[in-house]
Amino acid sequence: MDRALRRKLANYVFIGLCLFGTAIALLSLALILWSLFSQGVGGLNLHLFTMDTPAAGSEGGLRNAIVGSILMCGVAMIIALAVGILAGTWLAEIGGDTPYGHAVRFLNDVLLSAPSILIGVFVAQVLVTGSPFALGHFSGWAGAVALAILATPIVTRTTEDILNLQPNALREAGMALGASQFTTIRTIIWKAAGAGLLTGGLLGFARISGETAPLLFTALGNQFFTANLGEAMESLPHVMYNFALTPYEDLNKLAWAAALLVALAVLGVNILGRWLARDKNAGH
Amino acid sequence: MTTDTTSPDFKSVIVPPPADSLVLEIRKLNFFYNQHQALFGVDLPVKKNAITALIGPSGCGKSTLLRTINRIYDLYPGQRAEGDILFEGENLIGPKVDVAALRARIGMVFQKPTPFPMSIYDNVAFGVRLHSNKSKAELDELVESSLRKAALWDEVKDKLNKSGLGLSGGQQQRLCVARGIAVNPEILLLDEPASALDPISTAKLEDTLEELKSDYTIVIVTHNLQQAARLSDYTGFMFLGKMVEFGPTEELFVKPKVDKTGEYIGGRFG
Repeated sequence: MDRALRRKLANYVFIGLCLFGTAIALLSLALILWSLFSQGVGGLNLHLFTMDTPAAGSEGGLRNAIVGSILMCGVAMIIALAVGILAGTWLAEIGGDTPYGHAVRFLNDVLLSAPSILIGVFVAQVLVTGSPFALGHFSGWAGAVALAILATPIVTRTTEDILNLQPNALREAGMALGASQFTTIRTIIWKAAGAGLLTGGLLGFARISGETAPLLFTALGNQFFTANLGEAMESLPHVMYNFALTPYEDLNKLAWAAALLVALAVLGVNILGRWLARDKNAGH
Repeated sequence: MTTDTTSPDFKSVIVPPPADSLVLEIRKLNFFYNQHQALFGVDLPVKKNAITALIGPSGCGKSTLLRTINRIYDLYPGQRAEGDILFEGENLIGPKVDVAALRARIGMVFQKPTPFPMSIYDNVAFGVRLHSNKSKAELDELVESSLRKAALWDEVKDKLNKSGLGLSGGQQQRLCVARGIAVNPEILLLDEPASALDPISTAKLEDTLEELKSDYTIVIVTHNLQQAARLSDYTGFMFLGKMVEFGPTEELFVKPKVDKTGEYIGGRFG
């Protein structure tokens, strides 16, 4: 076989392998989404949003879990965005090159891949049972803090990465007009990096929206409705965990519905984020 | 007097403008990137309301020199300057200098156009809002006059609230010029402002600088010898961190006093 033909063949084989890998990944995603959808859509009805989680055998919904998830994820994201963006900004703009900065970055990366159950146990120790700050009982606050600790390293990392991508000329241009470093960062650099910062937030949210382990020790669950973060709170992932294990079909159905809701929430937030961050000048 | 520019005995040949016409004077400036010295005893007299050009091959230190004037090198910890940069009786390198206020009086336009991610109006008003408290009407007027001076008003007057990022490269650069002059600086520094632009945008920018001369003092670094010859009143030729020759543009280009200058202008190197 002559050289040119062999090269062509090798090319096709390689591309074929890449396509095959892509197909496997997409197929897995499609199967997951399909089973979520087909199993969960049957459980979608108005009751989900008006009734609370039931005991076995009675009718119910997911209202307390939905509200709990929204509250805890919401508080967690507020904390994660505030701490993460500030920390990422410090790393990128101020101290990232110092030995201390290197240490911070390293620890952040360690925290990034820390097992979520460990975080849960730690927060439980501090906020639930074992320290002077502990409330003495499970609470939504503890759950939110655990989720925040999970999301913050992601926001920090993406913030630092996206800020590092901003050209230095932009900073110099701001400071050349007499702006202080803080003003330059706040009014120019953050704005220029806006889409990236938002992506960091979305990634953080996606990470925590399905987390169950940390909530097991912190917020646990609550069969009844509460919007008070000082009390134990139900959450969608926890409902999934509980109800999927039971032999009762209507509870299993609720678990699937909860799974579908989480998937839809992550999808919805991502679409919203992409839309908000769209490049209005694209195509120029 | 030796003509070997690399010898330590070499003396720059400086034909300065009249002493009472100077707005800024640099004397014996040394500059260091950490341990590496980039400028060696540089002198630069800058005449008021004139265009001074800095030319020389890559790495000669002309951008480094320009960036000392507005202390923009402060942003980078390893960089430091020693010597005198005299502006209205004060040495700009001194520790007591209010750098933010200084930069409102000495503005800079960079090689790559850097529009801020905000509307055209907000871009031009950015510096003004930092340093003063003008009313909306005053701001409107200032934005318009700055854009007019930068020869950009007609092209953007109907879309002032559109993002500055949506403009073409040449327009973005003129936006940066408008932004720089909106704060009414005494000196405007330009670091190869046209190198990223096409010839038509370059011509427009050069016309703009020609007009601005009557209100502002301009110092421009350029790689383009023809541009320096076209635009400037005084030119400084730099080589390996030294100011080799400085004088009225016509004299320097037509009858340079140092051989090296003639070689560079004649295209024999660089």
